[in-house]
Amino acid sequence: MIEVRNLSKFYGSHRAVDSISFSIAEGEIVGFLGPNGAGKTTTIRILTCFHPATAGAAAINGHDVFTESIKVRSVVGYLPENNPLYPEMRVREYLDFRGKLHGLDRAQRRAAIGRVSERCWLTDVIRRPIGQLSKGFRQRVGLADALLHNPKVLILDEPTVGLDPTQIRETRSLIQDLAKEHTVLLSSHILPEVQATCQRIIIINRGRIVASGSPDELRERVSGESQTIAEVQAPETDVRAGLEGLQGVTKVKVASTNGWTRATVATKADLRETIFRLSAEKGWAVRELRREVASLEDFFVKIVAGAIGGSEK
Amino acid sequence: MRNVTAIMQRELLSLFWSPIGYIVIAGFLLITGVIVLVSETFAPGQPASLRSMFQYTPLILTIIIPAISMRALSEEYRTGTIETLTTAPITDFEMVFGKYLASLAFYVIMLACTLVYLVLLEIFGNPDWGATLSAYFGLVLVGVLFTAFGIFASSLTRNQIVAWILGAVPLLLFAWFSFYYVSRAEGWVREVLQQVNVMGRFEQFARGSVTTDGLVFFLASAAFFLFVSVKVVESRRWR
Ligand SMILES: Nc1ncnc2c1ncn2[C@@H]1O[C@H](COP(=O)(O)OP(=O)(O)OP(=O)(O)O)[C@@H](O)[C@H]1O
Ligand SMILES: [Mg+2]
Repeated sequence: MIEVRNLSKFYGSHRAVDSISFSIAEGEIVGFLGPNGAGKTTTIRILTCFHPATAGAAAINGHDVFTESIKVRSVVGYLPENNPLYPEMRVREYLDFRGKLHGLDRAQRRAAIGRVSERCWLTDVIRRPIGQLSKGFRQRVGLADALLHNPKVLILDEPTVGLDPTQIRETRSLIQDLAKEHTVLLSSHILPEVQATCQRIIIINRGRIVASGSPDELRERVSGESQTIAEVQAPETDVRAGLEGLQGVTKVKVASTNGWTRATVATKADLRETIFRLSAEKGWAVRELRREVASLEDFFVKIVAGAIGGSEK
Repeated sequence: MRNVTAIMQRELLSLFWSPIGYIVIAGFLLITGVIVLVSETFAPGQPASLRSMFQYTPLILTIIIPAISMRALSEEYRTGTIETLTTAPITDFEMVFGKYLASLAFYVIMLACTLVYLVLLEIFGNPDWGATLSAYFGLVLVGVLFTAFGIFASSLTRNQIVAWILGAVPLLLFAWFSFYYVSRAEGWVREVLQQVNVMGRFEQFARGSVTTDGLVFFLASAAFFLFVSVKVVESRRWR
């Protein structure tokens, strides 16, 4: 549904998006995750035909975003980052105006406005001027606008930013609901947000994709970062030799105090049992044996810090 | 065309929603009203016309019209609504043209308010209806051109006051300059000035002579500035 190939975007000489590629299948709900300034909005704006890419190509529903932009725009429902609206217009007026731009006739507009205002809980405020609405309600107006023409693809740039916890939950469940009928791409810089709503996460940092996969797949990659910690009563060299002899062990850090040696083993696998057996065999006393699994959050924080993004460049 | 109408309707409503629209209308009526009262002789039986009002109106319009059109694009840039607008399935031309038509329609409505002077004229004088009608037609044409220039100015900046200055100052200087120098210049300069002298072109209409030459001048130059505005909007996407 969405195809992105080697997309780059420069602002002057500043590279905001650096040759990224990904594709999103029909019916998928994908989260675009990255810290501030990662290039999420820039990428999304290329996909929604707001501005052209400097290099590379993108297509939605088989139409190129640059050469067939009107076709792309008519299949995409877009909620921009800061959700710009006309404050002087009433909700119904605004949705009616947007419906006209999407080529809906009077009857279709009435039906569509009824549908989206119910879906986005706008029925009570439909006659109010947008400028008088609270941030949360304005966000719903933006979402209703994006849904108005029943688009195949929904692109939502930080849909829950600035909402209170109840509204965040409501919006999330709405988005999940929408994903049954639409292909959804949403961006966020909050991990739990995309973890909760998305089937697939694309993590982007400094304009590059640094990781992508389902939350489970990413968690697996993260557990590749895990480590086993053991504290045994034995000389440092013995412990090092013993642990390095184990299968799948690459790096062992040891430190000893008062005859106790504390070893940190970085492995993918869970080594606790093996280490226990080894200690039993050698007759070492064990006073600590545990596995530390980095959370997705840690992984993301590392990416933000540039540790992972930098090493993959 | 449906998209153009949709844009135009919204734009026209927003002109009437904002206080600026009413300030502009009030200002225009005040200035023209003063001119009419000060200079016209409303003596019964005397041949009367709105000549003096017509004579200065184009100069007033150089300032008034850019104030009508100044928000058209710059406000969309400032508030960011340009993003929802240019990601909707409409072309940049449809957007610009819709906004242009709205500003123009607003101007025509404003102009229609001056018809009250004609009523005065009919009561107190003996107006030359042919010339008056063609003068009004000329004023509409001046609006066609100035509005296009105002839209162009509005496409250049996200600040509406800057857009107003960018629209009004060149128009005022240009209208005055070509009017003032056309009789003083010589040779090819004079020929060129004669072609582009907005005041002179309008005076033709005010005298009651409607020429295709004049018509083409106003329409073609308006089309030019609209074309440039669309190009500016397109090029802003690349930034
Ligand atoms: N109009 C612009 N002109 C110049 N630089 C820009 C412009 N817009 C964005 N940038 C720069 O491009 C980079 C990517 O910005 P972008 O807005 O895409 O980030 P983002 O991932 O959406 O961040 P956030 O989470 O803060 O919304 C940033 O370094 C930003 O400073
Ligand atoms: Mg952003």
